[in-house]
Amino acid sequence: MASTTPHDQPQWEFSCDMELDFGSEEHASIVYAALAVDKELQPDKVKRGMTVSDGKLSVHFEATEARFLRASFSAFVDVLTLATKTIEQFGQEMKL
Amino acid sequence: MKRMIALGFEGSANKIGVGVVTLDGAILSNPRHTYITPPGQGFLPRETAQHHLQHVLPLVKSALETAKVTPEDIDCICYTKGPGMGAPLQVSAIVVRVLSQLWKKPIVGVNHCVAHVEMGRIVTGADDPVVLYVSGGNTQVIAYSEGRYRIFGETIDIAVGNCLDRFARVLNLSNDPSPGYNIEQVAKKGEKFIDLPYVVKGMDVSFSGILSYIEATAVEKLKNNECTPGDLCYSLQETLFAMLVEITERAMAHCDTKDVLIVGGVGCNERLQEMMRIMCSERGGRLFATDDRYCVDNGAMIAYTGLLEFAHGASTSLEDSTFTQRFRTDEVKAIWREANLEKLNGVAEKNI
Repeated sequence: MASTTPHDQPQWEFSCDMELDFGSEEHASIVYAALAVDKELQPDKVKRGMTVSDGKLSVHFEATEARFLRASFSAFVDVLTLATKTIEQFGQEMKL
Repeated sequence: MKRMIALGFEGSANKIGVGVVTLDGAILSNPRHTYITPPGQGFLPRETAQHHLQHVLPLVKSALETAKVTPEDIDCICYTKGPGMGAPLQVSAIVVRVLSQLWKKPIVGVNHCVAHVEMGRIVTGADDPVVLYVSGGNTQVIAYSEGRYRIFGETIDIAVGNCLDRFARVLNLSNDPSPGYNIEQVAKKGEKFIDLPYVVKGMDVSFSGILSYIEATAVEKLKNNECTPGDLCYSLQETLFAMLVEITERAMAHCDTKDVLIVGGVGCNERLQEMMRIMCSERGGRLFATDDRYCVDNGAMIAYTGLLEFAHGASTSLEDSTFTQRFRTDEVKAIWREANLEKLNGVAEKNI
């Protein structure tokens, strides 16, 4: 379903992939939509593609240098963790 | 009719705050947490964002519990779109995007500077004042004119709060609760006024040269026992605040307004308030100021300003819920003030 860039031929030398299983199509899509808003800050050096299927979020990074890949990946993991924790804590019916 | 309620997130600098407010300006909760660095050090974007990541979700929980509201009660979720530091801004934006989808509530992106102005107005009751917005990142003299908050004067380099904060680092003052507060306390012990450069350029001010000058002078004079840290803090405050009072007074003359509202973190400084109050009274006007609960960055100001926009028909789509480091005060159309204007005009026409 949702996809920013198709997994075509890698353009740059450095890349990595990550897959997260949310066990819920809805939650995976929420995280996808929340994180897709922010574009990569240096699109000429790093690019990021995301797809959602079967309740899983797959992320593909490519960069011209290892240090750009690392910086981008690490920043992404931080906000991914935040989005996931937000769902964990506020996704169910809240009891006050 | 059910009262409208907003949840607001602020995290553009070293404070992360979440507030719950109603459209009439009642603040139901407004917890915040400040990232305090060791003496001599400022806050950097990456570390500040890490601080926000750790504290934002417990703050949401606490804000909802204190306000005794559930997600169903909330009409819109507001966040600071800018200006501010990128990485810290992103934390609020991410949480808001997720909550908006989970709870099926609209998002409203808010300009941080406009939020300070609106919070100041609702808390003090100032109707149409000249606003001095002074904080660690911003220094602006603002007044409303034809649909927008216009910047009449501003700093051409660093903010006044940045100047104070960085001088506090030279003296190795604590950053708890804030460097500016500690400068203010030390300044009370000052006796001797040391001449510093005074830099007003038309409606604008400049602080970076003053900072460089006092940074160099301070070390030298303190070493030779020519003055005390108190004298330095006192002289710095007097000089900076005199500049701010001067440009505010000039803006008042331009706008033909007698009232002044001070907002932003430096606005808590009682010496600044005192100097401004003297100027206002000489012109037959009033000074409106608030204490640190509302002056300093907080979630309620974002919630309230976002709710004003939302109540007048504006909201931000998920795709547009970005953040931006640069976002000028006059880019925002203050639609809620236009609406009031039309209402007033309507009344005026009926009277005729």
